Amino acid sequence: MGEPSRYAIIGSGSAGFGAARTIRERDPEARISLVTISSLPFYNRYDLPKLFLGVEDWRDLLAVPTEVFDMLDIQLRRASRVVEVDGRNLTIQFAHNEVMGFDRLLVCSGGGGYLPAALSDYRHLLHDFGSFEQAVVTRKAVPKGGTVIMLGGDMIGLDLAFTLVDTGHKVILVTNDHTFWPHQIAPEERGELLDALTATGIEIIDGRRPTAIEDIGGRLPRRMVFSDGTTASGNVIMAFCGQQPSVEFLLSAGIDIERGILVNTQLQSSNDAIWAAGDVCQIWSDAGKGYKFYHGWKNVRIMGEIAARNMTGAEEAFDDPDPLAIRVEDGRIWSSFWEH
Amino acid sequence: MHGTDLQIAICGSAGDGTIAAGDILKRTMALMGYKVIAFDLYPAEIRGFGKCIARVRVSSEQAYSLKHHSDVLVSLHDGHAIPHVGEVRDFGAVIFDDAPIARVAEGGHMSAHVRPAQIPYGASLRAISEQASGNARGRNIAALGYLAGLYDIPPEAFQQTIMRKFAGKPEAVTEANMQAFDAGYDVGAGVFKLDDVTMEPPSYQAEGARAVMMTGNGATVRGLLDAGIECFFGYPITPATSIMERLAQEMPLRGARLLQTEDEISAIAATIGAGYAGARAATATSGPGLALMAEMLGLGVMAEVPSVIVVSQRGGPSTGMPTKTEQSDLNMAVFGASGDAQRIVLAPTNVEGCYRCAGKAFELAERHQTPVIVLLDLYLSNRYETVIPPKTNPFAPKPFEGPSVGGGPFRRFAETPTNVSPRALPGQAGGVHTITGLEHNELGRPSDLPEMHAAMSRKRHEKLIAATEHPGLTVAKRFGDEGPVPVGILGWGSTFGEILEAMFAAQAEGLPCTAMKVVMLSPLPLEHIEAFFADCTHVLVPELNYEGQFAQLICGATGKPVTRLTRATGTPMQVEDILSEVRRLAATGQPSEGETDERGLEASLS
Repeated sequence: MGEPSRYAIIGSGSAGFGAARTIRERDPEARISLVTISSLPFYNRYDLPKLFLGVEDWRDLLAVPTEVFDMLDIQLRRASRVVEVDGRNLTIQFAHNEVMGFDRLLVCSGGGGYLPAALSDYRHLLHDFGSFEQAVVTRKAVPKGGTVIMLGGDMIGLDLAFTLVDTGHKVILVTNDHTFWPHQIAPEERGELLDALTATGIEIIDGRRPTAIEDIGGRLPRRMVFSDGTTASGNVIMAFCGQQPSVEFLLSAGIDIERGILVNTQLQSSNDAIWAAGDVCQIWSDAGKGYKFYHGWKNVRIMGEIAARNMTGAEEAFDDPDPLAIRVEDGRIWSSFWEH
Repeated sequence: MHGTDLQIAICGSAGDGTIAAGDILKRTMALMGYKVIAFDLYPAEIRGFGKCIARVRVSSEQAYSLKHHSDVLVSLHDGHAIPHVGEVRDFGAVIFDDAPIARVAEGGHMSAHVRPAQIPYGASLRAISEQASGNARGRNIAALGYLAGLYDIPPEAFQQTIMRKFAGKPEAVTEANMQAFDAGYDVGAGVFKLDDVTMEPPSYQAEGARAVMMTGNGATVRGLLDAGIECFFGYPITPATSIMERLAQEMPLRGARLLQTEDEISAIAATIGAGYAGARAATATSGPGLALMAEMLGLGVMAEVPSVIVVSQRGGPSTGMPTKTEQSDLNMAVFGASGDAQRIVLAPTNVEGCYRCAGKAFELAERHQTPVIVLLDLYLSNRYETVIPPKTNPFAPKPFEGPSVGGGPFRRFAETPTNVSPRALPGQAGGVHTITGLEHNELGRPSDLPEMHAAMSRKRHEKLIAATEHPGLTVAKRFGDEGPVPVGILGWGSTFGEILEAMFAAQAEGLPCTAMKVVMLSPLPLEHIEAFFADCTHVLVPELNYEGQFAQLICGATGKPVTRLTRATGTPMQVEDILSEVRRLAATGQPSEGETDERGLEASLS
């Protein structure tokens, strides 16, 4: 028998963990390392709005019990920042001065929140919701009945907005091109969707361009200034303007990257040893004759599993799934993005 | 336990400042009013390699031992600390350097080993120290600062301890360490805390202001000094050396004399000589030294000369493991000498007990005219505990008032109702007598008459019986449930802390349980022990040696069976191991296979 294969997976979200579990099912001898910059084991980020429903302990958000990693013999490397991937020598360089080898690598590092360039100088005044730690900080900054100004309003943000409204908070949604991201909304559908948001209790500011964010202190310490001179104040301001793939550590990996990692339908990159799944990759679409992002929590999980099967010998394609759908049902917005 | 009960382990390589960091931590916690137990493990080598671990248990209420699982592990050297990751409890914390300067071998970084249920905290400890103080040597202090920041421990107490720690060093050294601490604190305070480790403010009681941190050896020194030690003769040996070092600082200030002799034989010979001359004299050694002292110990017994020998056990036999703990010199302490050489052996079970036993040892030695061994072990000698010093000196002053001279020759070894003979110092008028290692008559003159040897042997043994009732000395004490119980735990020495913790844990589980510490190992306080046996269906005897030396002693003395739980690993007994045996005995009445055996009188006599 030869040496067991070494699988490295960067990213411990639903794609990464699903891939690790799938690899274990298909290769009992494999050495599997799940690498993440997070300090926590795998939890579902789409559960983070539960913090406003009273959940305080991260253990209540865990997607699987911590024992599962031992049961599956998956090495979980947390608090580990990857600074470089060497696609020729098949190594990962960590910030802590360690180099780890791999035979096959799956990148599911997801994406960070995108912020329009015009507001990049004000990032320090924004609250984030991308991790448990950020979500806790945000929740603490929003008192009961407090006000949240949401810029953009992608589907991740709207999911939080509904929870905020349901828990007695005020939400002011400042729309822009990223509202309803990743859905592409036809102009004629937009009004109905915004009306549905208004009916839910969300205050809409539509058609005004934010130019600055200010820290003014007091009861509502954050103020958004618009190009027409008007303002809106809240306890926090959050940007939900879609995702930006986290690929900066791959720049010298020798793989093709456009906005995300370019992969074929089998989720394999231009390097035979490197695969990608989730929000970090653009997948070739035979139908569309181009590379496309496929978002949505269900898609992300399925991509991880398919990539894992292909890394272990299968030749399975991530076929064009049904396009993400969004509609108004019983006065509320429904989106297939939120399907798990 | 209510309130805070937190154990922090700091692990590094020799030279990383691991023990120094642990020292600052425990002193700070004691200063803040917490109860502290601390124990350091370090290699026999001085510097450059080898693992060091400082473990500090901080609690609101009195704790009796270290915990098996630490709540926080601070790694100053991942190579050494990684094997200890499993000792951190679930949802506890592992703090490590996430920017080491040297290339880390694949799999050699702590982040690859933190268990999924533990919380990893990567901190650039080296960089923090370098940026704050200009060098990386304050990495250990930066780690303390990080710890203080993470758990919201007021930095002032740490800063005070650091100032004291480096007092006497160049100001720049203190300044650099303070800067490293402050920088570490700022980083730690900014970290999002994800573990469930909590610290509540100490419940500062009136006596807390008088609390001091002290090791077993330190308390032994205090006991000897308070009892008025006049002469000390010793030869350095781990883990007893610090006794001589501290006495060397203190005794000259009190007009007392200390001499480092050329070896252990000289040390005990001089001690017995000083005792013969009427001085309160002591020596201190470890197992190998006691082996060399055995012949002179017999002389002390035969010549009925008071003396105190402090023995701190370490892993053996021979040179053994100088920096690892063991309770394997019991047989030698109780029996080690030629002939029937019964002596008094006291084995304190905690730091405060070291003070009391050392102080009482002179009284016992003088009252019963015999060598008294105070038997410690490395775990107790080096273990720090918070103790409250007594307000007044509890030890009796030297009682000797010279011989009661009657008519005729001085009968130095006369039979008396107490079997303790009159004693004279050399040169005292009316007290002329012969003293020798040979068997002798009442005048001290050599005699090998059968009836004389029988009478003197009986006298030398029976004069010690009253020692078990010596005023102000606890020779044995029972804890826990009263009356009949399914399982009783009988222990001695440093292991008793773990025994108490196991007993409390068993009670918390609803298992009736009792425990007894035996402080006087020779002569045994049989009345207490037999009463204990009468109440216990099963008696468990945990101890740190391979053979079960105390169990053998108890079996031989009582004729009753015991269940042995022996460990010869060089490390302290684990509470969980004892608790596991208590559970098993309570449930099945059978010891675990391969771990313990139940032997009665027949086995111990065979």
